[in-house]
Amino acid sequence: MNPALRSFAAQWQTRSADALSPVRAQAMERFLKLGLPTTRDETWRYTNLRSLAAQSFVDAPRKTRGEIEPNASLSLLDKTDRAASLLMVNGYPTMPVVDGLISGMEIYSLREVARLDPNTLLRFLEPLSDADQRRWALLNTALFVDGLYLKITSRVPMPLVILHVATGDGADNIAYPRIIIEATPGSSATIIEHHVAQGDHTPLCNSNTHIALRHDAQLEHYRVFATGADATHLDSLDIRQDKDSHCKQFTIVLGGGLVRTALEAHLDKPGASLDSHSLLVGHEDRHVDCVNIVTHGAPDTRSDQTARAIASDSSRVIFNSKVIVDAGAVHAESKQSCRGLLLSPTAEIDTRPQLEIHADEVKCAHGATTGRLDPDMLFYMLSRGLDRATAQSLLVYAFLADVLTGMSVTSARQAIEDALIAQLPDSMTLRNFR
Amino acid sequence: MLKITDLKARVAGKDILKGVNLEVRAGEVHAVMGPNGSGKSTLAQVLAGREDYEVTGGSVTFEGLDLLSLPAEERARAGLFLGFQYPVEIPGVNNVYLLKAALNAKRKAAGEPEVDAYEFLTLIRHKMKFMQMSESFLTRGVNEGFSGGEKKRNEVLQMLVLEPKLAILDETDSGLDIDALKVVSAGVNTLRDAKRAIVLVTHYQRLLDYIVPDQVHVLSGGLIMKSGDSSLAHELERRGYDWVLESQVA
Repeated sequence: MNPALRSFAAQWQTRSADALSPVRAQAMERFLKLGLPTTRDETWRYTNLRSLAAQSFVDAPRKTRGEIEPNASLSLLDKTDRAASLLMVNGYPTMPVVDGLISGMEIYSLREVARLDPNTLLRFLEPLSDADQRRWALLNTALFVDGLYLKITSRVPMPLVILHVATGDGADNIAYPRIIIEATPGSSATIIEHHVAQGDHTPLCNSNTHIALRHDAQLEHYRVFATGADATHLDSLDIRQDKDSHCKQFTIVLGGGLVRTALEAHLDKPGASLDSHSLLVGHEDRHVDCVNIVTHGAPDTRSDQTARAIASDSSRVIFNSKVIVDAGAVHAESKQSCRGLLLSPTAEIDTRPQLEIHADEVKCAHGATTGRLDPDMLFYMLSRGLDRATAQSLLVYAFLADVLTGMSVTSARQAIEDALIAQLPDSMTLRNFR
Repeated sequence: MLKITDLKARVAGKDILKGVNLEVRAGEVHAVMGPNGSGKSTLAQVLAGREDYEVTGGSVTFEGLDLLSLPAEERARAGLFLGFQYPVEIPGVNNVYLLKAALNAKRKAAGEPEVDAYEFLTLIRHKMKFMQMSESFLTRGVNEGFSGGEKKRNEVLQMLVLEPKLAILDETDSGLDIDALKVVSAGVNTLRDAKRAIVLVTHYQRLLDYIVPDQVHVLSGGLIMKSGDSSLAHELERRGYDWVLESQVA
């Protein structure tokens, strides 16, 4: 057993028993048996966790709201006016969570739900899976201490921002943020999860969000990663969709030294549809690994995945997506489009769209291209007198536009654009386009 | 205004221009005609500053400047405009934004202040009306989803807004129906004055019925084989390019 696994096992020993313990024990046992994913695992072939395996981790501290300094890194929150917000620090909700804070949404701490109504929670924790893309979710299930359960009961008019702050006491901290979002039939909401870091030590973050959309529910969900170069973030997102539900999902990676995002969506009932947008920005020597697995489990389901990856300096960006159409999921429609833009000769982008179809009469399209800035487009703009830096920046901006324009929360979009532009070459020029 | 001397250029390892000589004075309209593959478009692209086209010999002066030593953007700011044969689509970059950035780049180079947003919109609306373009062009990406004819109108619109000293129009007539050809020609003709010059690169004589050139040149095999007045274009239309080539051999 490597040091990391030993330290996780030690954390498990410190957990007090709750109503979820039987499931957690199973998850822990399976995680320890399977071990950390390696590059031999299908969805991990580009991301090596060897250095992580050699470390020992302890729980990141629980902190109060007063210990968190609002500063520039929280800009998404500041600019998203007319939004409600919740603050999580190292996975712990920081305020006394009370129902009725936001009209149309019930908000509970997972700790409370585990005590009062464990069966509700168990529905979201099970079934456990040994699949390699779910490995860290297993560990999260075993070790999360608290988190949020959001029950959307009607149409929620304003967006909710969940600000996740990671802040450690030392270099070996780990946090297990856990969010469960359930949208009841006919309800709708917009939820933005924004991950930032504060202080000198950013904990390893193993976060999981579970989204369950009931009949006819609609959710626009964002996860935005904006931590520093020292941060390692392993995130997994599970989406389960009932009949005629619609999910619009944005995964935005703007920061972090190593960011791994997994999305697993199950379109379980007819009419369920998913629009997934990924914007993956690598710069310096950062590593971004995004995997999406969408399963069409019923007839007349639809999924559309759009990914835009940009890599500059010596960064590496990976986007793997897979669409599985189960037997019987007739008339399923899926699209996967991934475009990569290389801004330096030492950067790397790997994309792999995959299809696995077990049904007839389906429409599935996929495409992936990676290249440099188009020389014809560049020459066209130069020939109109634009200077080279401006022309290049405009093209980069245009490349991202597909994903950005899909965002319906204007203020969040602006904040995301700002943060994104700051990490691109010629950011000063890019700012002028808006 | 423009003096091309013994210009030689290579594209993808192949010699295309083999010693072109051409002089265009202010106030003149020249037509460069020739069969497919004769080097017409290469000439236009080389003059505009396309980097992957390698100049292997000769010189070009434009308004006293050593044109070949300047990057494309500086040529544009000095007053040279290329109307592309195949204008590229740039989704995500707004058509009007590009035009405004282009105009401001030119003004900045000339030491003038940036154009006022309202004034600019008034100007562009006026020019668009003249070019019979719909308002939707204001909001679309550069050439995005434009038909062939719309792209060419957009090229001429850009030219009218930028008011270049020298406009090189590469096959601006190709793919146009007769109505569009009239609109495009009218646009080009408004730019015709004593201080400017226009080089029309074309395969067919048709355009020259609407924009009557002062001089016509036949480019073939990377060389200007024959020059003459506008009647040469009619002769070419009647007798074909082979006539010029054969008469040279003889």
